[in-house]
Amino acid sequence: MIEVKDVTKKFGRKTVLNGVNFTAEKGKITCLIGINGVGKTTIMKAIMALTPIDGGQILIDGEKIHKGSYEKITFIPDTITMLPQMKVHEAFMFMADFYDSWNQKRAEELLEFFRLKETDRISDLSKGNTAKVNLILGLALDVDYVLMDEPFSGIDIFSREQIADVFTSHLIEDRGVIITTHEINDIEHLIDKVVLLDNGVVLREFDTEEVRENEGKSVIDVMREVYRA
Amino acid sequence: MNRFLKLVNFEFSRFFKLYLVLVGITVLCQMVGVIFEARRYVGRANKAIYEDLLSKSDFISQYGTMSFFRFSETLWFLGPIMLAGVTLLIYVFFIWYRDWFGKNTFSYRLLVLPTARLNIYLAKATTVLLFVLGLIALQLLLVPAEMQIIKWLVPDELRTDFSIATISNHYYLGVLFPMTIADFILIYGVGIVAVCVVFTGILFERSYRLKGIFLGILYAAVSILVFFAPILVNELILRNYFYANELFYMELGTCLLTLAGAIWIGNYLMNKKIRV
Amino acid sequence: MDVKFNNRDPVYVQVIQFFKEQIAKGFFEPGQEIPSRRELANQLKINPNTAQRAYKEMEEQGLIFTEGNLPSRITKDEQVLKMVREELVLEAVTTFIHSVRSINMPLQEALKIVEQEYEKE
Repeated sequence: MIEVKDVTKKFGRKTVLNGVNFTAEKGKITCLIGINGVGKTTIMKAIMALTPIDGGQILIDGEKIHKGSYEKITFIPDTITMLPQMKVHEAFMFMADFYDSWNQKRAEELLEFFRLKETDRISDLSKGNTAKVNLILGLALDVDYVLMDEPFSGIDIFSREQIADVFTSHLIEDRGVIITTHEINDIEHLIDKVVLLDNGVVLREFDTEEVRENEGKSVIDVMREVYRA
Repeated sequence: MNRFLKLVNFEFSRFFKLYLVLVGITVLCQMVGVIFEARRYVGRANKAIYEDLLSKSDFISQYGTMSFFRFSETLWFLGPIMLAGVTLLIYVFFIWYRDWFGKNTFSYRLLVLPTARLNIYLAKATTVLLFVLGLIALQLLLVPAEMQIIKWLVPDELRTDFSIATISNHYYLGVLFPMTIADFILIYGVGIVAVCVVFTGILFERSYRLKGIFLGILYAAVSILVFFAPILVNELILRNYFYANELFYMELGTCLLTLAGAIWIGNYLMNKKIRV
Repeated sequence: MDVKFNNRDPVYVQVIQFFKEQIAKGFFEPGQEIPSRRELANQLKINPNTAQRAYKEMEEQGLIFTEGNLPSRITKDEQVLKMVREELVLEAVTTFIHSVRSINMPLQEALKIVEQEYEKE
C-alpha cells in the first residue's frame, strides 16, 4: 500500500500541498481528481522522489523510497521517458538492461496489442502512439504499483479505448494503480477509489461502489457536491 | 557496480559520435598542418638560399630552424586542442542539461533507475575523464608521428630534433603530458575535482533553479578557497613558511577534501533535493 | 456482451442484474459455462475487482456455482431459475403499476390492453 501522510509542499511562496493524506492499496485502482494545478502530478512525482516534499511522509509498503523501490513502483508521466532518437526496441533494451523486473514478453505483447513496431523511432511517432509506448515502458515492468499521469490527455478516442482496455485486462490485475485524469467519464466504472483534491488538501476519499450502494451517487455527483460546497 | 558500468557505457555511447569527429579533426588538422608547415619552411628556405642567395647559416640565424616547437605554436596544432578543450568544457554542462531540456525528459527515467543516484553522477564524471584521457592518448601518439614527418620533409641542416621529454618541459605541453607521477596526479586530479565541483554546482541549479545558480556559484567559490587554502595561507599569511614538499601534501589533502565535499553534496542533492 | 452501465448503481449490482436478465430470457442456459472473472472484466470493460465481487455475490445467491478448479457455471437449480424469472417479471410489473396507477383507468381495462399488446408481438 502507498501511504501519503500529511504531505506539504511549497513552490516558492505558493503552498501547493497543505497536508495531503490518502492511501492507495495494492489490487485497486485509485483516481486522484482535482482541477489543473491542484498538485496531482506533484503528488505523483513526490511519491517517486522526483521532487522533494517540505513536510510529511510517503511510504511504499511501509518503507521510505530507496533505489530498490524502483523495481516495485513505476511512473508513467505524460511525457516520454526515453531518448526521442531511440527506436522502440532500443528503449526496450535499455529497460531490460537496468531493470530486473522488465518483462520483455509482455512488452512485445503490448506492442502488438497497440499495433506498433519495434523499429519505429520514438521521435517519429504521433502523440497517441508515443503515449502508448510510454505506457508499455511502465506496464511491461513486473511492479506492484503503477502511477499514471493523465494517460488519456490529448489522445484520440480510439487510442483512448485501447488504453482503457488495459485497465480491464490482466495487466492491471493485482497491481496498485494511481491514476490522474480529466476524462472521468471514460473510466468512472473502472475505478475502485477516488481521492478528491482541492486547495492542497484531500476533501474526500471514498470507495466508488460503496458510495453507489449507500448513497446512490456517481463519482461525478459526489464531485459536484464536494466542489460546490 | 554493474549498473554503474552500464551507465558509463550508456553515457559514453551518447557522446561517441561527436568524439570521433573531434578525433578526426585533430588527426586531419595536425597531419595536414605538419606537412604544410614543413614544406612551407623548406620552400621559404629554398627561395632565400637559391634566389636571394642567402647562405644557409645566415638563413638559420634569421628565421631559425624547423622544429616540432615551431609547429606546435601554429594553429594547425593548437586549433584542434583548443576545439577539444572548449567542446569538453561545454559538454561538462551539456551532459546534465541535455536530459532536461526540449522534448527530452530523460531525466525522469535516469532518476528512477534502480541504482544509487550517485552512480549517475559518477558515471558522467567517469565518462568525461575517459574522453579527456582518450584525447590525450591520441595526442601522445600524434606527436612522434608529426616529428617523424618533419624529419622526412626537412633536411637535417635546417632542422632541430627534440626528445619528447624536452618537449614536455616546455610551456603548456608540460601541462598536457606531465612527466612525473606527482605531476600527473596533480594535474588530472585537479581536473577531476574541478569537474566534480562544476557537477555539484549544476545540481544546485537543478535543485533550486534560480536560487540554485547563486548557491552553485557560492559553493564553487568556497570549494576553490578550500582547495587553495594551503597555498593562500602560506603565501599571504605565513610568508612562505612551508617547504614545497609539505605544501604538496597539504594541497593533496585539501584536494581530496574538496573532491569528497563535491561528491557528498552532489549525492545529497540528487537524493533529497533534485526535481525534474 | 455489450452492457451499458450507469454510474449511480454499484457496477457489481448491475452485472448481477445483467446475468439475471440473460438467464430469464434464456440466453444463459442452466449449467452453461460462464467466462472467468478476468475474461468477464475484459468483455464488459469493468474493473476485475468488480467482476470478482459480482461473482461472489452470485455464488452466494445461488445463481452460479463453481466445482473445484473448473470454470463457474449457471445454476441448474429450477427453484433458483424460477425465482429469477419471477423477480424480473415482478420488477417489470412494479414499474408498470407505478406508471399506470396514477392514470384514471380501471385495472381490468388496463390488463386488457396488456393482453392485446402482448398477443401482437
